[in-house]
Amino acid sequence: MATSWRLKSPGLDTPLLLAAVALVVIGLLTVYSATSVPGAHQGLWARQLLWAVVAAGLAWIVASLHYRAYDALAWPLYGISLLLLAAVLVMGSSAYGAKRWLELGPLRFQPSEIAKVATILVLARYFDQEKLDLRRFTRWFPALLITVVPFALVVKEPDLGTSLSFPIILVVMYYWAGMPASRLLLGLSPLVQAVLFLVTKSQGWAGGLALTLMLLCWALGRPRPRFLAMVSLLLLNAAVFVAVPRISNHLADYQMRRIETFLNPGSDPYHAGYQVLQSRIAIGSGGITGTGYLRGTQKALAFLPMRHTDFIFSVVGEEWGLLGTLTVVVLYALLVLRGFRLALVARSRFASLLAVGIVSALFYHVMVNILMTIGWAPVTGLPLPLISYGGTALVANGIQIGLLQNVALRRSEL
Amino acid sequence: MHPSTPIRELRQRRYRVLATLALTGFGLAVVGLLVLQVVQGQMYAELAKENRVRPEVLRAPRGAIYDRHGELLADSAPSFAILFQPFPAESLQRAREALSPAWLVRVAGLVGLDTVEVRRRVNLANVTGQSAVLRRDAPFAVLAGVEETHAELPGIEVQVEPLRHYPYGVLAAHLLGYAGEINGQELDSLAAGGYRPGDLIGRTGVERTYEDYLRGQDGVEYVVVNARGRRVSTLKESGARAAVPGQNLTLTLDLRVQKALEEAMADVSRGAAVVLDTRDGGILALVSRPAFDPNEFSHGLTRARWEELSQGGANPLLDRAIQGVYPPGSTFKIVTMSAALVHGLAVPETRLNPCPGGMNYGGRWFSCWEHRGHGSLTLVEALQHSCDVYFYQLGLRLGLGNLEQTARAFGLGGRTGVDLPQESRGLIPSSAYYDKRWGVGKWRSGLLLNLAIGQGELLITPLQLALVAAEVAGNGRALRPHLVEHVGSSRGYRIPRPLQSGLPTDASTWRPVQEAMERVVSAGTGTAARVPGVLVAGKTGTAQNPHGPDHALFVCYAPADSPRLAVAVVIENAGHGGSIAAPRAGQMLRTLFSPDSLRRVGGRVVRDTAGTAVIDSEAVNGD
Repeated sequence: MATSWRLKSPGLDTPLLLAAVALVVIGLLTVYSATSVPGAHQGLWARQLLWAVVAAGLAWIVASLHYRAYDALAWPLYGISLLLLAAVLVMGSSAYGAKRWLELGPLRFQPSEIAKVATILVLARYFDQEKLDLRRFTRWFPALLITVVPFALVVKEPDLGTSLSFPIILVVMYYWAGMPASRLLLGLSPLVQAVLFLVTKSQGWAGGLALTLMLLCWALGRPRPRFLAMVSLLLLNAAVFVAVPRISNHLADYQMRRIETFLNPGSDPYHAGYQVLQSRIAIGSGGITGTGYLRGTQKALAFLPMRHTDFIFSVVGEEWGLLGTLTVVVLYALLVLRGFRLALVARSRFASLLAVGIVSALFYHVMVNILMTIGWAPVTGLPLPLISYGGTALVANGIQIGLLQNVALRRSEL
Repeated sequence: MHPSTPIRELRQRRYRVLATLALTGFGLAVVGLLVLQVVQGQMYAELAKENRVRPEVLRAPRGAIYDRHGELLADSAPSFAILFQPFPAESLQRAREALSPAWLVRVAGLVGLDTVEVRRRVNLANVTGQSAVLRRDAPFAVLAGVEETHAELPGIEVQVEPLRHYPYGVLAAHLLGYAGEINGQELDSLAAGGYRPGDLIGRTGVERTYEDYLRGQDGVEYVVVNARGRRVSTLKESGARAAVPGQNLTLTLDLRVQKALEEAMADVSRGAAVVLDTRDGGILALVSRPAFDPNEFSHGLTRARWEELSQGGANPLLDRAIQGVYPPGSTFKIVTMSAALVHGLAVPETRLNPCPGGMNYGGRWFSCWEHRGHGSLTLVEALQHSCDVYFYQLGLRLGLGNLEQTARAFGLGGRTGVDLPQESRGLIPSSAYYDKRWGVGKWRSGLLLNLAIGQGELLITPLQLALVAAEVAGNGRALRPHLVEHVGSSRGYRIPRPLQSGLPTDASTWRPVQEAMERVVSAGTGTAARVPGVLVAGKTGTAQNPHGPDHALFVCYAPADSPRLAVAVVIENAGHGGSIAAPRAGQMLRTLFSPDSLRRVGGRVVRDTAGTAVIDSEAVNGD
């Protein structure tokens, strides 16, 4: 078990570093393979290599500065990232009907990646208080506000996949900062209910489970949640109970379709379904040992759309088989667990929170992408961290790894 | 300054929770990969060999349109399209074959295109990976040709797709509208609506207004094809979606009334006519001339034909019943008379100065159409004989404000809110309008004389005219003209509520107008609209227009003693309303009210006290 590992003296977290480097190398190899067939993307691996070098350099710089500097810079960074997100909406360049990119001279980048790191920094700074009682409204609400603003701006681009990483980060950081699990579940119960209804289409199941959840949280919460909190959540749940089925029934089919395509442009079910099918064929046909490096037929036939970006995991699956895919999954697991481990051992509260935030965002991206390629999650257009082709994402991931190493280097400082 | 022990323990516990959650997530991914790569690995390896899986769109049929008795007016019939299916890139040999000159010539000959066009479409298909339509709605001979040579023409496929079909052709064409293939510009602006190339989209009429209900949702299936590109089986795989057909519409239209009206308007070269249900404003029939055949659009128009239809002088695509605006002429005297009664400025017996054939006002001579003069008339008689001199005086008595107010209360000068696209407002001038046009104080009340008899700056649509008659028949009750009775199973769709009319609704106000209109038909200018056994109330109109001969107008409702139908007829540049427009309304009413045609309405024939056959309300309303 991971918990038995000891970090004796401060220094780089070698397993984490090695896992990250290994993933980038796998990424480079796979991008090379995926773009080795004649076509528009031929030769992209060289640019990816360049970006990898830039990312490594940035990671080095980010790791060497003391994290106190980021603590101090958190708010200005957050402000700038919000401005950038607003700028995207005004003058961003669009692809597939969504505005996600900002162009600065020859550079093109996604401000949502910067906003994610900035939000984690601000949240870590905010939660970094002695005796923070997150059961109190005045304490947890500001954190919600901090997250909702960038979340809303990214939803508006629209980029549903990326935007959902914000609430994930918030929930995990709430938990890590000391909010009792029962309170967290209590607060999330309306959301759980809504999602349950949309999945099961059963009001009884969704409402019943939400009520059970509330009762459990009330019974287990110590001290008991306040009366006012319980009543307002009961009302909120009741509202969800009444409103969500109404809304989802009332909306005509075509309206649902419009909302769907609005939130997730380029998600033409016809194309998305085809992509996923092709991806499943590629991964499945890899079998246990794969077709061999550079020998994949699916990517060669251009049957795998976005094979070097969102669907790069399918190329791994086809060419390297189960052995390849399991290796990648294990490397990610190592990265995530080492990251959480860092959060556990870091003595500074800020550093610990920072690590948790970064790792939860990484984890979310990895899960959504891998499950998408095997057809177990919707197509949302999220790249696979450290592996997919793409400069912004790779640099952002590099910075995140740099921040984790930063925490590792100074884990015994307070 | 170590974190205190309890906090450490707390962190330990939370760390374990997070680590467990993360491992569960990764475990899930591992399970998925095991299923895909080990359990189903063989199957997918098989599929991957030649990658013979191809997505095929299942076109959703567009909803059908029915009249109020369930008669089919538009539906989607299956037709056959000839497509080119692009090859997987590994079949380079076959791809080359496909573009060989011999192949091109044969295919071009089969589908009736030139080789350049076939090459262009095939190349596009090969680049985008999407199939290209070479021929829509292919006739049987072409299909037989394709089937015969199928083996020698790789890539050529026959696909079934729904084609919009209007069984009655030009009948009610303007009202139904037409649906055509979506164009590139529309595709860009409607991207969020989930449209794709090749989709049909409603362009005019009901097809356009109810586009969102009528269009279905396309499905997709994944088919396995053999080396020759022939379908072997359908893949049972998540991601396949069935097509959801569009919803059906039931209109207020009555096919029998529509047929009678089409017949009456058969020889009209330009004009329009509308029949409203006087009780709820439902449109029973609507005709605009010249007309077009919406089926033409389903087959795809040639450029020349499109230009002929859209830019030809007569503009057959224009729905004159709701988009055409005309000076109302004497039909407007109904409004002037109503205004006088509503504002208490005249009673039915009011006599004004006798008509000597014209009158002098402000140094100008305003003549009556009857140059011999009408002599002394009451208000009711004045409408009966359409005496201009009486109405000149009435207009002066009313003033612009009162006249405008009542005209607007009838629903003139604004859209009626009918569920058809691009309705015109018409024009009811106000003093602000004249101030803007001529300058404040620079216009004189003399124009009131013209307005009072329906000339001058007045413009109305035939639909608005029919609405006026329906409102008089219904004692001023507010109505909203509408066309759709219900959508699909009628759940979730409501007929829009009538707008507030602002007219008084007491019978005593309206009785004189009704009586005067009855006399117009029985012993006035509109005798050509008489129907044996049925009391008809109407008003003729002859509108001068600067661009040519007069427009002929007629508006009426029937039966006058128990109103059901309101009819407006406008015929461009044809002459007198009484001799040109009224007979057509009469012809239609005679067809409808002749006893032997009644049974076919689908309801009971009832006889009123006078022994006159009238259409039973249930029958016309038809729910």
